Amino acid sequence: MNFVVPDFYPAAAEILVAVMALVIMLASTFARRVASDLAYGLTQLTLVFAALVSVLVSPNLLAAVAAVISELPLFGVRLAEVLMSLAEGYAANEVVATFSGMFIGDMLGGLLKVFSLLAVAIALLYGRGYLADRKIDRPEYYLLSLLMSLGMMVMISANHMLSLYMGLEMMSLSLYGMVAFDRESPRATEAAMKYFVLGALASGLLLYGMSMIYGATGSLELSGIAQSIYHQAANKTVLVFGLVFIVAGVAFKLGVVPFHMWVPDVYQGAPTAVTLMISSAPKLAAFAMAMRLLVYGLFELADQWQTMLMFLSVLSIVLGNLAAIAQSNIKRMLAYSGISHMGFVLLGLLAGVVDGDRNFALNAYSSAMFYAVSYVIMSLASFGMVILLSRAGFEAETIDDFKGLNKRNSWFAALMMIVMFSMAGIPFFIGFFAKLSVLQAVVAAGYVWLAVVAVLMSVIGAFYYLRVVKVMYFEEPVDSTPIRAQGEVRFLLSANGLAIAVLGLLPQGLMSLCAYALLASL
Amino acid sequence: MDFKTLVFYILSAIMVFAALRVITSRNPVHAALFLVLSFVTAGGIWLLLAAEFLAIVLVMVYVGAVMVLFLFVVMMLDINLDRLREGFWSYLPVGALIGILLVVEMALVLGGRYFGLEAMPEPPAVQAGYSNTRELGRLLYTDYVYPFELASLLLLVAMVVAVSLTLRKRKGLRQVNPSDQVAVKRGDRVELVSMPAEKE
Amino acid sequence: MTDMQKLYLLVPLAPLAGALLAGLFGKAIGRAGSHIVTILGVAVALAASVVIFQDVQAGNTFNGTVYTWMKSGNLTFEVGFLIDPLTVMMMLVVTFVSLMVHIYTIGYMHDDPGYQRFFSYISLFTFSMLMLVMSNNFLQLFFGWEAVGLVSYLLIGFWYERPTAIYANLKAFLVNRVGDFGFLLGIGLIAAYTGSLNYAEVFAKGSELAAQDMAVTGWPLITAICICLFIGAMGKSAQVPLHVWLPDSMEGPTPISALIHAATMVTAGIFMVARMSPLFELSDVALSFVLVIGATTALFMGFLGIVQNDIKRVVAYSTLSQLGYMTVALGVSAYSAAVFHLMTHAFFKALLFLGAGSVIIGMHHDQDMRNMGGLWKYMPITWITSLLGSLALIGFPFFAGFYSKDSIIEAVHASHIPGAGYALFCVLAGVFVTAFYSFRMYFLVFHGKERFGNNHGHHDHEGDHDDEEVSADHHHGLAPGQKPHESPWVVTLPLVLLAVPSVVIGFFTIEPMLFGNWFKGVIHVGSNHVGLSELAAQFHGPVAMALHGLQTAPFWLAMGGVVLAWFFYMVRPDIPAAIQRTFRPVHALLENKYFFDRFNEIVFAGGSRLIGKGLWKAGDQGIIDGVAVNGTARLVGWVAQISRLFQTGHLYQYAFAMIIGVFILLTFWFNLV
Repeated sequence: MNFVVPDFYPAAAEILVAVMALVIMLASTFARRVASDLAYGLTQLTLVFAALVSVLVSPNLLAAVAAVISELPLFGVRLAEVLMSLAEGYAANEVVATFSGMFIGDMLGGLLKVFSLLAVAIALLYGRGYLADRKIDRPEYYLLSLLMSLGMMVMISANHMLSLYMGLEMMSLSLYGMVAFDRESPRATEAAMKYFVLGALASGLLLYGMSMIYGATGSLELSGIAQSIYHQAANKTVLVFGLVFIVAGVAFKLGVVPFHMWVPDVYQGAPTAVTLMISSAPKLAAFAMAMRLLVYGLFELADQWQTMLMFLSVLSIVLGNLAAIAQSNIKRMLAYSGISHMGFVLLGLLAGVVDGDRNFALNAYSSAMFYAVSYVIMSLASFGMVILLSRAGFEAETIDDFKGLNKRNSWFAALMMIVMFSMAGIPFFIGFFAKLSVLQAVVAAGYVWLAVVAVLMSVIGAFYYLRVVKVMYFEEPVDSTPIRAQGEVRFLLSANGLAIAVLGLLPQGLMSLCAYALLASL
Repeated sequence: MDFKTLVFYILSAIMVFAALRVITSRNPVHAALFLVLSFVTAGGIWLLLAAEFLAIVLVMVYVGAVMVLFLFVVMMLDINLDRLREGFWSYLPVGALIGILLVVEMALVLGGRYFGLEAMPEPPAVQAGYSNTRELGRLLYTDYVYPFELASLLLLVAMVVAVSLTLRKRKGLRQVNPSDQVAVKRGDRVELVSMPAEKE
Repeated sequence: MTDMQKLYLLVPLAPLAGALLAGLFGKAIGRAGSHIVTILGVAVALAASVVIFQDVQAGNTFNGTVYTWMKSGNLTFEVGFLIDPLTVMMMLVVTFVSLMVHIYTIGYMHDDPGYQRFFSYISLFTFSMLMLVMSNNFLQLFFGWEAVGLVSYLLIGFWYERPTAIYANLKAFLVNRVGDFGFLLGIGLIAAYTGSLNYAEVFAKGSELAAQDMAVTGWPLITAICICLFIGAMGKSAQVPLHVWLPDSMEGPTPISALIHAATMVTAGIFMVARMSPLFELSDVALSFVLVIGATTALFMGFLGIVQNDIKRVVAYSTLSQLGYMTVALGVSAYSAAVFHLMTHAFFKALLFLGAGSVIIGMHHDQDMRNMGGLWKYMPITWITSLLGSLALIGFPFFAGFYSKDSIIEAVHASHIPGAGYALFCVLAGVFVTAFYSFRMYFLVFHGKERFGNNHGHHDHEGDHDDEEVSADHHHGLAPGQKPHESPWVVTLPLVLLAVPSVVIGFFTIEPMLFGNWFKGVIHVGSNHVGLSELAAQFHGPVAMALHGLQTAPFWLAMGGVVLAWFFYMVRPDIPAAIQRTFRPVHALLENKYFFDRFNEIVFAGGSRLIGKGLWKAGDQGIIDGVAVNGTARLVGWVAQISRLFQTGHLYQYAFAMIIGVFILLTFWFNLV
């Protein structure tokens, strides 16, 4: 028995979330009357604190954030000092593994955790009114979203197939529950059922692939797998066989063709608040999963999985964009657009290694990460708008519901226009730079034809985004109900939309943050 | 072929047959029972591998608890399997083709070439007094404590989801709320009315 | 970042902050709040500009990157500042005029429901213009260029309920697109051949560019670049034939006409060409092109000023004509004279516009000069300041306009570049025309018979061109018997403050700006061009120049114009009508603005309709409808069909798709091993 008590410090944020999930569960059981408000408030607090703790436990991330903060006017420098002093005395390493090597704390993980926690917090904030209108804002919803966040954090920090799978299941299971949360809606129940069964199938595929990799390398720890392949100790045929199933599992979570079938049905069927949730933070977690499994574990097989991803990404970009044109339901349209966006993320991932030359890796992966983060920001804003327009007994889910929005509320119409332009990749919004950086990575890797296909399809794709703008600005409103929302939702949605524009003007900060995170973690 | 190998092949054959019957049998109760059979045979195979704790847990949990529950559900709900099978025959040819091709590909990899004894050396024999159960327990609470704790939270998620999706108050159903009953005050039930003692 | 650099940053950001506050929280902070924050922002920018000006005078210039936007290949997109005498002069002009206009707006827009929006826009404009002039690279220049354009469209269409405003808006947008296309092409050529967007780097490679020819076409590269860039300037600075949007832009509120469409934005093109002087100096062809365009604009747009009856339109055409003068100066390599005229013009033209606005307020938004007259009694401050502005405009000795305009004329006189003879004729004749229409306006508005108060007969007036319909439609005018009155102090204060530089700025600054070392190292004049060198030899101080000016042709031409205007409109008002009758074709030509609009409408709009029809018949229906559109539609429909075939909602089909996916991956990558 040579067991040492693991170092809990790097996992402080996860522990915080886990403990708070239990606290919220108990608290909302005993405080029945205010259970929902209490659970909501505590969940938001937990998410924000967990994001803060994630920053504090990652020295690189802390330094980067402090550098950004100290640039702020007024109390910036002072604030940065306070932040630095909070973490003093815990001289953690840049990359630290704990829990017998199952958990890895690095800047990539820290940054992705911060983004996903904040995304969940924003999604909850947007969705609160929606849930309340439909009388489904039970405390369990917030509990599940917190446990989902925990699952994502575990996935993001996983250095072991087992912990990764645990995180994945925890996230997915919570999501299934959330999709089905509106028990009165048969559509939601059906969507949850589909999501659940297909998710189980994908999990099965993933597990099968993991078992193959284990069989070939004798290790479940990602760094151990990488070592074993590097020393040529593993049989290539078995590895590639396992790789196929792992790629399938990752592709399902990202929602890329042909593992995308659940996406439109679930996006459309789920309550919009949940759709918002599914389309945002879990995409970051899926990106982290791809990074951990493919780049950290199976980097030696890059030649194989890159071509697989190429196949998936071309299919996604083509089918996503073409199918989106045919949609009249905006949630479904955004689902297909999400499929094509995930195809773009894959474009970044597949351009890392060219003929064994790994010098492209940093640039390519950081572009993919930038794309994923940008997509989450845009997706939050777009579904946030759908939520904003809907009210009790009315779902603003067809494109026609956006008719004449400019006449009803020109500010939100302008915001929606920004979001649509950004998604279409029109300069100078964040979506443009996301596409640009990914395409640059692809061209640098020598796949010009791929870039041409992607550009062509996104030009076709611009059509359906612009259609929404056209409908908003040039058609008469059918529905003249004034748009009501709480102040904080209005404020945050405005900030969200403006962030797309502002980050489009000043994308360098976010880009270099992503690049730096990868540089410090690879 | 020694006795162990013979038992392995017999158990495997039964398991594959049972698994096939699970998806082909027309009667859902039969299908569930075949599933029980395949679990039991799988437990037998694990016993052969000296994983006796896992084998027993498999039989106890899956056969004893999960499948019994499953059978209850199947018997209580009248599931029309024919409707579920709609389109089965039209999809069978292409489905079967893909299935067979997949099986062939898997067989190519999983055959003895890569997983034979040369590729996968037999694990060292255990010394006397070795307890599989004890080793599992030790690992679970030391090296694997992280996923173990996560698994507990995962179960919590499952519980929360199950409860929140199924526990509901149906309208028109008479039921008693104990906490309401306890919290009742006199004023809620009794109203004292002051009125003149005699009739006018 | 040094303190000075922070100050540089403050200059554009202060108006931006004001614009955002007024724009986003306009309702919350109220009308007074909006004008306070925006005026404060611009005032801070002005103060900072003054400090920077003193710093630059002490010899501290700056050229550097403040923020790296992004790197794309070997091209870097940066936000950077180039602070040198040219920049700081523009900064002062922009912030000063903008501040005056901000203050003036309080009075002018007093009753407008879009009060906050308006303040937000003009502050936003100030920000964009400052970004444009402070840029040290082409990308930021283009950003500022488009941003000022955007605000300009927003403001032309400010009263968006008026169809004419929307039409003017659209026209400005379309015409400017033509210019921007050229501009972008020029920038693209520069980026392609030098691999840089930074001014300093591009200028350093100037001679390299001059030696090259363009690929494929074989045109001299530098000429192509310069002409492309100048086409951009033609759009923004309203040079013939891209001038058509500017008169219509008077649909916007008057403060905007003063700030954007007279003093600052329209001079962006002039500024840009002056900034690019190291490139333009390398191409004689481009310079001649600039010269001829400028000269044509200077004279022929002046003619149009004579026949206008709308007070703002007279000033608008005079702006066009003066922009022509500046362009002429650019063409003869007298860049500093162009910039000098730009500065003096900014002050006196802003003054004239604001004066016109003040008159319009006094007349209760009647803009027709035929309904005015004798206003000097009622609006003394407006009267005096307008007189000073007009004198500056016609180039009366000692006034600001005299120094700048005379320098330009002398520079043209000295130049030997092809087209200089034509240009000299145009600018000389232009002086006469300028004086004539300026004083025609002055006399019609401030002197003579009081014609207001009877505008109920307005529609009966004989002129029936669209300007008048515009003013008849939505301007109220004075009721019978009502008298105009002087505007409130927020309106007259800027007039007075602008009148001061309009009178004296030329006198004090001509020596350092034109003949001193102020623009040394900033503006580059090639050794083969005369520029202002001959002038410098004859220059003996501003007083001597003014006294000498009394004896030259331009002065007497201007005097002739004034006297003729006095005679026609004060003594014998029947003569113009007689002339108009006698030379009906000429008048019709002028009235219709040389038929430019008609031409555009028929040739461009009609032509494109015709071509469109042809294309529609042959191409569209055949190829595009048949193959591309229907083809694409069919393809899309087909894909949608196929995907719908799969997206049935049946669970097992979804699962099957996944299995097929795995199968394909497995089969293809299995073989690779």
